[in-house]
Amino acid sequence: MAQDNNHKPQVASLRVDDHTIQCSGAWTVMHLHGLERQIHGLHWPAAESIHFDLHDVSGMDTAGAWVLRRSMLQLEQSGRAVTVGGLTPEAETLLELVVDTGAGPGSVVKPPHVGMLEGVGRASAGHMAEHVGLIAFVGEMALAALPLIINPFRGRWRMVLHELAEAGYKAMPIVGLLSFLLGVVIAYQGGVQLRLYGASVFIADLVGISMLRELAPMITAIIIAGRTGSAYTAQIGTMKVTEEVDAMRTMGIEPMDMLVLPKVLGLAIALPLLTIYADIMGVLGGMVMSSAMLGVSPITFTDRLSVAVSITTIMIGIGKAPVFALIVATVGCYQGFLVAGSAESVGRRTTISVVQSILLVIVIDAVFSVLFSKLGI
Amino acid sequence: MAQAQSEREVVVEVRDVTTRFGDRVVHNGISLEVYRGEILAVVGGSGCGKSTLLREIVMLQQPTSGSIRVFGSEVTRQVQSKALDMRRRMGVLFQYGAMFGGLTVLENVGAPIREHTNLSHDLIDEIAAVKIGLTGLDPGTGALYPSQLSGGMRKRAALSRAMALDPELLFLDEPSSGLDPISADALDELVLHLKASLGLTVVMVTHDMDSLWRAADRVILLGEGRILGMGTMEQLANSDDPGVQHFFQGPRARAARLQHA
Repeated sequence: MAQDNNHKPQVASLRVDDHTIQCSGAWTVMHLHGLERQIHGLHWPAAESIHFDLHDVSGMDTAGAWVLRRSMLQLEQSGRAVTVGGLTPEAETLLELVVDTGAGPGSVVKPPHVGMLEGVGRASAGHMAEHVGLIAFVGEMALAALPLIINPFRGRWRMVLHELAEAGYKAMPIVGLLSFLLGVVIAYQGGVQLRLYGASVFIADLVGISMLRELAPMITAIIIAGRTGSAYTAQIGTMKVTEEVDAMRTMGIEPMDMLVLPKVLGLAIALPLLTIYADIMGVLGGMVMSSAMLGVSPITFTDRLSVAVSITTIMIGIGKAPVFALIVATVGCYQGFLVAGSAESVGRRTTISVVQSILLVIVIDAVFSVLFSKLGI
Repeated sequence: MAQAQSEREVVVEVRDVTTRFGDRVVHNGISLEVYRGEILAVVGGSGCGKSTLLREIVMLQQPTSGSIRVFGSEVTRQVQSKALDMRRRMGVLFQYGAMFGGLTVLENVGAPIREHTNLSHDLIDEIAAVKIGLTGLDPGTGALYPSQLSGGMRKRAALSRAMALDPELLFLDEPSSGLDPISADALDELVLHLKASLGLTVVMVTHDMDSLWRAADRVILLGEGRILGMGTMEQLANSDDPGVQHFFQGPRARAARLQHA
């Protein structure tokens, strides 16, 4: 039945000849296109009985057999008797095979279509459940961390160190570069304005306060959300797909202990350190730009900086970092556990994880700003 | 038997294939032929390079040296456009199914047809439904996602997809692994049935002694980087070669043989 590839197979077609349908060509999946169109626009003869003559058919596969079977079903439904002749023995078994599958109009089954209203409802309920789940996850995490407070030696500190290296040390080049550039940009944009008033020296106030208090913690958290939070989701998600998480549970290892806590702790240590580093690089960037463009020498700059920036400002900036770390690590891990089934789900959850943690970081930062201004710090 | 075979068309021809991963020699000069219309089983202990050989034949991996010809043309160092043509004529059932997780079973089976023909979506869905039916799955399975399937169902669904374009040559990587005996038997029956009615040539990698007795026309035993034995199950089971005996005389092998005696 395999088609002979030395001869170019003829395209499948049929011709209505009184009450006989003359079929010809290769009725194989690669050559069916024309036939499908032809049948679509065909007026079947009105005769009581119709005969399919397949003497001239040079090859048939299951797709071809199905097209034949489909036409037969259609004709039989309209009350006509259908006979088939000229089949090779192979084609005959093939047709029997297709008939035996019971395939018919009802055999194409698709997942039920979800209407718009139902879609909105399901999405809302889904989001709701997800957010409630996040809160529950935070609770579970706190419970799992409780024994650690009583006996810190039980912790998996090696893994924490590993996370520290992965999320902290290895992120230094990108965090350093970006905060340096941010400092340069602020100094440049601010300096142009300040020079108009002859107040160039205040560039140290501008760069110092904006970097140390707001921008360095935020840019670091955003970079880490994209770099590390996504990695957490992808890692835990893939482990879920391959049942590694279940394997852990059966071995009596709590995934919370093994996968989540080291990551959260590691990031809670790494992010403040990275923020200090980003502070230094950002101010350095501002300083370089000030001396190059505004004629504010590094000595004047640092002099002014020590007056303008209080220790509170620095601490506020660094103090936000552990909170951001908790957000990024918790959301990253939680989304990882929500992965179900397929590779596609890993991708979707990773996207959600990054978007959600960046969003939460910025929202919480705004909350902090309001809070601090109320408190007058 | 050798004379009879020489007259049959050779579909796959492997010549002096050597494969090395670093220092580890997986294949050390393997040569074999697959004839049209036969079911050839490749067996051997774990890590003897069965799956690697299969991957080399289906152009997923390159042997270190040697030649592999499929349908008469060389597949090692193959040009991309030519490779596509040949891939359409081959179907592969992967050990774990490798179903696309984001698509339903029906869409999975229809995917190769959709990619390579310009048939209408309705007809493609119907053909996919026929293929799903051919492997003995319920039509409702088409609406499910692969993650919702049991192991046996996933194997069958993957087999439907492997056969989507009615390939002349079908490769099965451990078709019965992970299946219960009844499903495994049914899958063997199915492969035999499809071979008989569609004229398929089948190359399968398997460990399943029952499958070997029931389905395989010819068996090749790989080990130590070379072919230890080749022939029908009967011939191999009665072989004097110690390496072959070792493999085919275990308790499981004997039990399977008794059943088919």
